[in-house]
Amino acid sequence: MIKMSVIEPILTKYIGKKDYLSIKKVLNEMNPADVIQDVKKSNLRGRGGAGFPTGIKWSVMPVIPKEESKEKSNKEITPITLRYLVCNADEGEPGTFKDRFIIGKMPHLLIEGMLIAAYAIGARVGYIYIRGEFASEYRILKNAIEEAYQENYLGENVFSKFLNTNKNFSFDLHLYRGAGAYICGEETALLNSLEGKRGEPRIKPPYPAKFGAFGKSTCINNVETLATVPAIINIGAEKYAKYGTAKSGGTRLFSLSGHIQNPGVYEFPLSIKLKDLINHCGGVKDGKKLKAVIPGGGSAPILTAEEIDTLDLGVDYDSLAAAGTMAGSGGIILLDETTCIVEAASVLLKFYEHESCGQCSQCREGSHWLARLFHRIEKGEAEMKELDLIEHICSNMSMQTICAFADAVVGPARSSIKKFRSEFEEHIRIKCCPFKKQKEVSHVL
Amino acid sequence: MSSNNITIDGINTTFTPGETIMQISRRIGITKEVDHKIDPQISRFCFHPGLSIAGTCRMCTVEVENAPKLVTSCSTAAVDGMVVHTNSERVKKSRAGVMEFLLLNHPLDCPVCDQSGECSLQEYNFQYGPATSNFCDPKRVYENSTTKRLSKHITLNMNRCIHCERCVRFSSEITQTNDLLMLNRGWKKELTLTDDTLTLISDYQGCLADICPVGALTFNDFRFKKRVWFLSKQNSICDQCSKGCNIEVHYEDDVVYRYIPRYNKDVNNYWMCDSGRLSYHKRQAEDRIYTNSNSNSNSNSKSLSNAILNSNSLLIILATDTSNEEAKTLIDFKNTYSYRLGKTADCYYIGSEDSKLDHLLKMKDQTPNTRGLLNLNISQLYNSNSNSNSNSNSNYDLVILVKNLQTTIDQHLLSMLEYKFQCKELFAFGVFKSDELKLLQSYSFFKELIPGRTTLEKNGSYTNCDNITQTFKKIDALENDKIKAIPTIEEIFTRIFYQDN
Repeated sequence: MIKMSVIEPILTKYIGKKDYLSIKKVLNEMNPADVIQDVKKSNLRGRGGAGFPTGIKWSVMPVIPKEESKEKSNKEITPITLRYLVCNADEGEPGTFKDRFIIGKMPHLLIEGMLIAAYAIGARVGYIYIRGEFASEYRILKNAIEEAYQENYLGENVFSKFLNTNKNFSFDLHLYRGAGAYICGEETALLNSLEGKRGEPRIKPPYPAKFGAFGKSTCINNVETLATVPAIINIGAEKYAKYGTAKSGGTRLFSLSGHIQNPGVYEFPLSIKLKDLINHCGGVKDGKKLKAVIPGGGSAPILTAEEIDTLDLGVDYDSLAAAGTMAGSGGIILLDETTCIVEAASVLLKFYEHESCGQCSQCREGSHWLARLFHRIEKGEAEMKELDLIEHICSNMSMQTICAFADAVVGPARSSIKKFRSEFEEHIRIKCCPFKKQKEVSHVL
Repeated sequence: MSSNNITIDGINTTFTPGETIMQISRRIGITKEVDHKIDPQISRFCFHPGLSIAGTCRMCTVEVENAPKLVTSCSTAAVDGMVVHTNSERVKKSRAGVMEFLLLNHPLDCPVCDQSGECSLQEYNFQYGPATSNFCDPKRVYENSTTKRLSKHITLNMNRCIHCERCVRFSSEITQTNDLLMLNRGWKKELTLTDDTLTLISDYQGCLADICPVGALTFNDFRFKKRVWFLSKQNSICDQCSKGCNIEVHYEDDVVYRYIPRYNKDVNNYWMCDSGRLSYHKRQAEDRIYTNSNSNSNSNSKSLSNAILNSNSLLIILATDTSNEEAKTLIDFKNTYSYRLGKTADCYYIGSEDSKLDHLLKMKDQTPNTRGLLNLNISQLYNSNSNSNSNSNSNYDLVILVKNLQTTIDQHLLSMLEYKFQCKELFAFGVFKSDELKLLQSYSFFKELIPGRTTLEKNGSYTNCDNITQTFKKIDALENDKIKAIPTIEEIFTRIFYQDN
């Protein structure tokens, strides 16, 4: 499944190694502020979807008072110092499977990344919230955590054998399995679910840094973000940052799926162009013509092939945002010329209808309405005037709700009607899906 | 302290840090005082002042200058220099959007809906909503919850639900019974009982119907009884227990249809128990005595004044549901009796011990004014626990008993009057039921029953268990011909003295 990039792999060369080089380096040579500084310098941005700079996320954690941090007594965790590091492994974005790959192939890399992050923010307890459907990955990770405890890589006074200084650092890691809701990938819904409540996003503010898991300061990072940290420490922040663009540092894992010749997880520097990335992965399947690309998981607004050509788009956060879409989770879905855009959007909207948590009025009812509407258009049962309704619904949904889910629904709906309106109109005109009709004809012949 | 200024709809004001936009606008009068009811300025569904903030209905959004998104006024804390518009075009458009979404799957069965006329959905759609719908798909129907009895008090119609989850928060935060929850997610989200084999278990189920902004949860006692726009409203006090919850009495003509709790932060907050809520039935019960038991004597004070003149000693027994004013009248009467006639007269109350029954409002003492009588230095006739009275073992020829709706007389008291106090004549005043009259008539010393008025039919005050004195006023419309014929206790006992002279 793993496809190495042609450029020097950074993250993926850690596969199978359990030597935990970076955390030893961190514990021996660096203090927490240095680690945060390094991560800031690396321009590492959250790999989960929003692309928030990781260094800044870590630095906004409330400062532990001096006397508290001096004592560092491991057993007595005072309320002020009690804080959590949570790893978001609820990878549910359509077209994304990079976190699953990391956990399945390199679980120790994630544990090492969490150790470094915990050291940086001063957390002594960590949680990994893993998606319920990841059954084998759950077992792998559980094993890895047990191994780490046996080697004293987790628990009380970790790595005490390897440390030159008399620094104490303890870190307990718990693995928590979700129950299969997409919305629990949203960080505050994840926290609610972790606490045993309904997985529904919380109102922000207060942000998790102030009021997170169990009411304590909490830092939530994506699996890939955390797994990247050891590499940054190992090769140096400046060198890592150079692989990316000015604002998005380093390399990133991309999940390629859809009509791509060689689907899989690839590591590419963020400075690469989208067109080159597709070519590296073998181009469009069977040499067909590219029609559209969903560049950042199902929530990202769709890009046409022409846009990719004419704009010469990069894959970093900023250039995709400038093109009206988003880098999201790095799940790139290719759609070739035989794909019906209406059907593709309809399938996505069906997913979102099913996954809306149902808290906010607009999202609960709107996602359902859009899914119904797209389904009817695909079947050829809609009327022409209903096409304008899509924009009406989308404008009432976007930027109105507690979390970004409603905007994720709006992403594919709005962009598909905007960029492929003629295809929608054709569905209504001929009262069926033109692509299915072609298929049927060729089948008969 | 100088830099805490906010401008809401052009009104500049200061705020204390932590106050939300909705709280401030309520304070300065942009939104209505009674905030769990329908408010035209900052509309809301999921927000209820007695519950935690959910921020999910998105109906209370307001525009804050320089903020990219509209913000929910219920959850957004004020920041210095904020300029807020509660009714701008952008806000109206957003609210119209919410209304359209909420009405997509709402059955719009207003003609047969009990909430009709006091429904937030109706009001806000009238104000903001689109007149037509663009929705052409079949509406969502919850097959199993279209008319589902959640308990003997509450009926759920899930099709009308707008998923504000006030009821779920109420059952977890206020009653702490956790007997309601939301099942499933998204547009299939459905309100169910936590244990489907049971019913609702809280004693405050009526509040669920109160806080439900639509007709999803309705109170069976009121269901299909009356269209709400025919009801008149007047404030009063619940006399079902020593708590004295503040209520609004809803009535048409001389019939009361329901009690609704009224906000009082010192007494009952926004809530009220079910037994209090249903206590209005007692007032208009079939077996209530409206006429004097001695039918041939139409001037009832005549035989009483004769009895007074002929008696040697007087005992006044007050039940703990007599109002402060009635009790004062009788104490004055007692004093005048002993002063003018030079005879012994005593006044005692009969009542029970009081204690809290739950963490909310329910009290063990099922009468409204024990505390008030204690404040008038009236002591208890006998302690129900020790069964012996502390007072002197004297005999009384004449006994005047005053009780109202909440107490019942029992055999124990009457045999005590007969054997211990050697009572020769008993006059009973107040609200009695027919079986109580039968019991009285089985005693030879019983002379006469003079009917009285209930809380809703007189002016007065009760002092509740926390020593808060609350006044109530007569509801004029309830004074039908039967009630009009009944004089108040004050009238009777003041009249006797003037006749004496």
